[in-house]
Amino acid sequence: MVKIAPLFVKELKSYFYSPIAYVMLVAFLAFNGFIFFLIMSALNDPRMPREGSAMQLFFGGTIFFYLLLSIVAAVITMRLIAEERKSGTIEVLMTAPITDWDLVLSKFFGAMAFYLFLWLPTLSYVAVLRRYSEIDLGPLCSGYLGIVLLGGMYISVGLLCSALTRNQIIAAISSFVIITVLWSLGIFRSFTTGTLAHGFFSYINILDHFFESFSKGIIDTRVLVYYMSSTVLCLFLTVKIVESHKWR
Amino acid sequence: MIDVRNISKCYADTLAVDDISFHVGKGEILGFLGPNGAGKTTTMRILTCFMPPTSGTATVAGFDIFEHSLEVRRAIGYMPENVPLYHDMRVHEFLDYRARLKGVPRKSRKKRVQDVMGKTGVADIQHRIIGQLSKGYRQRVGLAEALIHDPKVLILDEPTIGLDPNQVRQVRTLIRELGGEYTILLSTHILPEVEMTCGRVIIIDHGKIVAMDTPGNLTQHIREGSRLSLEVRGPGQEIQSAIEKIPGIVSVNRRGNGVSTFSVEVEKGRDVREDIFKTVAGNRWVLREMKTEAVSLEDIFIHITTHEQL
Repeated sequence: MVKIAPLFVKELKSYFYSPIAYVMLVAFLAFNGFIFFLIMSALNDPRMPREGSAMQLFFGGTIFFYLLLSIVAAVITMRLIAEERKSGTIEVLMTAPITDWDLVLSKFFGAMAFYLFLWLPTLSYVAVLRRYSEIDLGPLCSGYLGIVLLGGMYISVGLLCSALTRNQIIAAISSFVIITVLWSLGIFRSFTTGTLAHGFFSYINILDHFFESFSKGIIDTRVLVYYMSSTVLCLFLTVKIVESHKWR
Repeated sequence: MIDVRNISKCYADTLAVDDISFHVGKGEILGFLGPNGAGKTTTMRILTCFMPPTSGTATVAGFDIFEHSLEVRRAIGYMPENVPLYHDMRVHEFLDYRARLKGVPRKSRKKRVQDVMGKTGVADIQHRIIGQLSKGYRQRVGLAEALIHDPKVLILDEPTIGLDPNQVRQVRTLIRELGGEYTILLSTHILPEVEMTCGRVIIIDHGKIVAMDTPGNLTQHIREGSRLSLEVRGPGQEIQSAIEKIPGIVSVNRRGNGVSTFSVEVEKGRDVREDIFKTVAGNRWVLREMKTEAVSLEDIFIHITTHEQL
């Protein structure tokens, strides 16, 4: 476990060695800035009455949020294991005295750290809003918590896809598709009537998680369990896949 | 140090390694020779715990490759065939990272990195980005990486492939210097290299060990007798017939006519040089050169891999 530290540092640094980090950062912030602007315009427009505060809408109120996150997660995870396998550096990695969990967890945390780094500048929106009105800290904190947890789940899915292939593009596309399916599945809640199916789709309805809980300041432990257990499941599968390369 | 017992490896329906067993003693330099696809890289990957064998066991430095995989990996410095490195890191950064990963203690890490860079000759380029280095330098960085945690055993897969003759010589010298202090298992196609660096040689073909001995002993096995090489001026065909009549000659091969080169196989234990001289001089032909040809490892290799097992 102690080996995670050097691996993690190296992973995080790797992000900044390539232009991807900087391009991503700029694109992410530009996009988010634009969304924020749209939200503010919509809220300020007297013709369109809207429920909720700016930050509430920002966190999962618009479809852009989910779309952006799907792309971000797919792109920042695509190279993690696929590139190592392709370039052969996986051989050097796996013949070093580290366990498979060390390897996978360090990549996961590296990606998470970068992901959080991407979100950091959005705190400036909060600073801007504070100048004009009161900010309710509760929903703000839970909103960001939601972002962390959702990010964790998406990144673990992306990491899993990266471990399955040598081709980064395939990894990116498959993670994008899986993540998109994950957040759109909630729609079926409206189509089902039986209590079991209805209950299931309500549980996995990510949009609801954000609308109903995170952006309102409610931290629902069922929701926490959903994100954390999915993340752990994906990480576990990734470790098994990395292990399985040794058996072939 | 390395003890391999009945290791076999199957890839789907191909038997890559077929029941091989060998032992490498402490401080020994063992050469692994074989044609492409013989199973050298596979055997090395099994020893470094990159993949498990289908059957059989092996121990490295006393640790079993299956049961104590982490300890085995700590004891081995491995340089894979294609020397995979992270192209976006700088040399010293990369070596420091690998040192950390392999558990080199913080106090000695800096010094160790500097020492190893000096030993492998990459100290001058330590601030360069790996992706910008030439193949020779990358190979040296790979070697430095294998040495960084002072392993007991070095496993090098084709360490001089793709290098120019100067670089090959430098790496070879380095390997020779390292032997004794480290136990080294290296694989190669380049036979003169093996003759020059290795104390013992294993020749592997189609997954099986076909020969295992010192280069000197192998030479003796192959050649029943010795071979002479002659250069004579005179009528080629007549010279050939004359020499063939000399007792103790097994066969004569001729090249050329006015001035011909002959390759003469001699029976074991017989020295026919004086007889040849007398024959040639007696017929008023001119003997321009006569020398005994040493059997090279290449002959052994070709003989073994195209004939039956030794």
